[in-house]
Amino acid sequence: MANEKTIWEKLQAIDRRVLYTLLMVIATVSLFFKVNVPTKPGQPTKDLYRLLVDDEALPEGSTVILQSDWTQSTRGESAGQMEALLRILMRRNIKFALLSVADPQAPLVARNVIRAINLERKAKNQREYQVWEDYVNLGYFPNAEGTSNAIAANFKTAVAGRKETPPGSATPLDVFQSPVLSKVSKVEDVPVYINVTGSKTSNILIERLGGRVPFAALVTGVMGPETLNYYQSGQVKGVAIGLNGVAEMESLMEKGLVETGKPEVKSFAGETNYGRGMAYYLALHTCLVLMIVAVVVGNVAMVAARKKK
Amino acid sequence: MIPWLAQAPAAPALNMWNAPAGTPEIWMKVGIAMLAGFGLLAALIAAPTRLRRPISGAFIFLAGLFWVLVFLFPKPIDSQTPHEQRPRGFVQDVSFWLADAIPVVSNFSNILTAFILGLGVFSLVRIHLMRVAKKQNDWPFSVVLLVSMVAMATFGYWDWKTRLDLGGAKVDEAWPLAAYGKDLLFDGMLQVMEAAMFSLIAFFILSAAYRAFRIRSVEATILLCAALIAMLNLMGAVVVTWDGMIESFGKDNAFVMNFTLSSVAGFIRDNLQTPGIRAIDFGIGLGALAMGLRLWLSLERVGGN
Amino acid sequence: MQSESYPIIKLFVGVACTVGLYSVLYRETKFYRFFEHMFLGLAAGWAMFALWGETLKSTWWDRMVGSVADEGNPAVPGYWAWALLLPIGVMAYFVVSKKHNWISRIPIGIILGLWSGQQVQVWFTRYGPQMQSSMKPLFPTTWSEFITPLQPEAGAVYPAQVIGNLIFLLTLLSAMSYFLFSFETKSKLFNGMTTWGRWLLMIGFGAIFGSTVMTRFTLMIDRMYFVFIEFFQQGLIPLIGGR
Repeated sequence: MANEKTIWEKLQAIDRRVLYTLLMVIATVSLFFKVNVPTKPGQPTKDLYRLLVDDEALPEGSTVILQSDWTQSTRGESAGQMEALLRILMRRNIKFALLSVADPQAPLVARNVIRAINLERKAKNQREYQVWEDYVNLGYFPNAEGTSNAIAANFKTAVAGRKETPPGSATPLDVFQSPVLSKVSKVEDVPVYINVTGSKTSNILIERLGGRVPFAALVTGVMGPETLNYYQSGQVKGVAIGLNGVAEMESLMEKGLVETGKPEVKSFAGETNYGRGMAYYLALHTCLVLMIVAVVVGNVAMVAARKKK
Repeated sequence: MIPWLAQAPAAPALNMWNAPAGTPEIWMKVGIAMLAGFGLLAALIAAPTRLRRPISGAFIFLAGLFWVLVFLFPKPIDSQTPHEQRPRGFVQDVSFWLADAIPVVSNFSNILTAFILGLGVFSLVRIHLMRVAKKQNDWPFSVVLLVSMVAMATFGYWDWKTRLDLGGAKVDEAWPLAAYGKDLLFDGMLQVMEAAMFSLIAFFILSAAYRAFRIRSVEATILLCAALIAMLNLMGAVVVTWDGMIESFGKDNAFVMNFTLSSVAGFIRDNLQTPGIRAIDFGIGLGALAMGLRLWLSLERVGGN
Repeated sequence: MQSESYPIIKLFVGVACTVGLYSVLYRETKFYRFFEHMFLGLAAGWAMFALWGETLKSTWWDRMVGSVADEGNPAVPGYWAWALLLPIGVMAYFVVSKKHNWISRIPIGIILGLWSGQQVQVWFTRYGPQMQSSMKPLFPTTWSEFITPLQPEAGAVYPAQVIGNLIFLLTLLSAMSYFLFSFETKSKLFNGMTTWGRWLLMIGFGAIFGSTVMTRFTLMIDRMYFVFIEFFQQGLIPLIGGR
C-alpha cells in the first residue's frame, strides 16, 4: 500500500503512552536491585564534604544555620540531600537552627526528616537529637529577599520573637535562650550557613550574605549549572547537585576523602551511609539510558527516512 | 535605635510607643492604631483620580529608598555595639539607625507578604464559592476543593494549638485526633500529591525530547552533544568505567588523563558551560537592575488603570 | 500512641492519590480532576494555616500585643504601631473592587519597591565576585611542561591552562555579545562573535538540559519508590503475611 508507513517513520512516531510505560517499568524494576553503584565524586561535592566533616572548617559541637527550602515536590533529590546532611551533622554533634523562606510547607517537611533520622539513630541505640538542646525551629519567613538581608545584617533581631518549647516544658521560650543559639547573635558567629533548596533561594542568599559566612548549598539538578557558576567564583564553598550529588556524598561518607596536598577527611564507615541516593541511583542510570536511546532512535530514524526518500 | 517597633537591643522601658501585654491600655492603643490605619484607607478611597499614581509611586519610592540608603550610606562600625557605647555624630547615628532598621523592614516585608499571599487563598475561595453558588460547570469539584481546604486549615490549626498547649513531645506520644487529621492530610495526601504532580514532568520531558531533539541544525547538534556528555557524566558507573579504561593506558601520564570522562566533562563545565551561563546571568542581572530602577522611580506601570 | 494500622492506611491513601494524579498520563478524566481539586484545596488550606501559625503569630501578633511573664519568659510589652500593617495588608484585597482596585497597588508596590531598592546592592554582591573570577591569567608563568601535570606546582600557570582560560574568556565575551548586541550590525566581527556566542550558549543549555533531566527523572523514580517499595514491598506484603 502506498500510504503504509515505513519502519523508520514508525520509529519516529512511537506513541507517548508506550514511552511513559517504558519509563515507569524501567524505573520500577531498577529499584528492586539493591546495588551500590560506583561513583567518582566531583570537586564541588568533595569540597562540601570537607566543609561539613573537617574539624577545622566546622568544629565538632558548633552551631550552623540550616535553611531548608524544599517540599515533597523535590523529595527525590532534596530528601536524600537533607538525610545525608543530617546524618553528618548529628554524628558530629553539630547543633543547627532551622528556618525556611521558600514555602509554608517547608518547615514541617524538614522536621519530618529530622524525626526519621532520629528514629534511625534510636534503632541503633544512638543519642536522639533533641529540640532546644540540639536544634531549634525558627519557622517560616515568607519574604526570602528581606529575610536574607536582615539575617546578613543582624541575625538576632531578624529572627527575634521566635520561640521553641524545651522538652519537659509546656512553655515556649525565646530561641536565643537555647544552647543552640546562646552564643550566636550575628551570622558571622556560625562557621557555615547551609541551604538545602528546591528553588532559587541559594541565589538570594549568595546575593545577601555577600561572603560574610562560608556558604554551602545542596541544590536540585535544575539549579545545578547555575550554582556551579557561583562555586567557581568562590561564592559557594561546596555544592551537592541533585541525585548525583547525594550518591557522591553517601559514597564519601562511606569511604572518606583523600586529596593530594590536603588533609584527609574521615569516613563514617560502619554507619548507615548509603540511603536514598544509592537506592535511586541505579534507576537514574537506566532512565537516562532510556532517554539517550529514545533520542538516538528518533534521530537515526529521521536520517534513515530522509535517505530513503 | 527604633524605640517604636521593639528593635532596640534590650527592651526599653514603657513609653508612649508600647504598653504592657494583657492590659486594656495595649488593646486601646492597638484599636486606635487600627482605626487610624483604616481611616487612611478611607481617605485613599476618597482620593481624586489624578492623585492615585503619585500616591502609589510615593509608597514604592520610599520603600526602595530605604535599601538604596542602606547600600550607599557609610556602614556603622559594628551594629552589635551597645547603644550607650556607640560613637556619636550625624553620620554614625544615621548609619546605626539604618542598620537597626533592617530587621524592622524585613519583618515589615514578611508580614506584608503574608497578608498578600492570603490574597491568593481569598481569590481561590471566591472563585470556587461563586461556582458552587451558581451551580456552574463541574461545580462538585469546587466543593471538593473547598472541603479539602477547610479540613486542612482546621486540622493544621488544631494540631498546632495542641502542640503549643501540651508541647510537641507529648503530642507525638499521645497522638490525639488533631495529630491524626493533620498527619493524614498533610503528610499522607498533600505532600504525596505535590510530589506526584511535579514528577509527571519526567514523562513529558522524555516524550518531548524523543520527538523534538533532532539534529537539524548546528545549534541543535551542539546542544545534543553537550546534553549527552552531561547525562553520561551524571552516571557514576559510566564515569568510573570510562575513567578506569583511560587510566589503564597511563595513570601517570597527564596527557592521557585529559581523556577521562570526568576531565572532559570538567573542561566543558569550567571553560564552556560556566562562562556561557555566566553570560546569561550577567544579562539577567542587568535586566533586573534596569527593571528595579524603572519600578523604583515609577517609570514602569505596575498594572491596573 | 499512634495506632498500628495507621501507617499502612496513610500509605494506601497516598498511593490512591498518586494513581489519581498519574491517570492524567492516559487522559484527563473526572477521576483526575477530583484529585487535582483536592490537591489545590489542601495546599490552600495549609497556606491559610501556615501564614498564621508559622509567620503572622510570631512576627506580627506577638509583637503587637506583647506577652505576659510566664515560666522562663519575661514580660514583653506590645508595640501598637505594628497594628498599622493590617490596613495596609487589607489594601491588597481591593484588587477585586472595580472602582478602587488601584489601592491594591500600594502594598504590592511596597513589596516591589523593597525588591527594586535592593537590586543595586544585590548586583554588586552577586556579580562582583563573578567578574573578578572571570579575570583569568592569559600568560603562562612556566614553560616547564605544556600540559598541566598531575601534581602541579603551587601557583604556576601552565600553557594548557592558558588555552582553557582563553576559551573561557572567548565563550564569556561572545555569549555576552549575543545578548548585548542583539540588534542588527554590519560589523563582521560582531556578527561572527554573536554566531559563536549562540553556538557556545548551546553547550550551556545542553548541560542545563542534562541536569534538568536528572531532576525530573529522580522525582519520578521517587514516586515509583513510594508506590512499589514503601507501600507494596515494605507495607502491604508484610501485612498480608509475605516476607
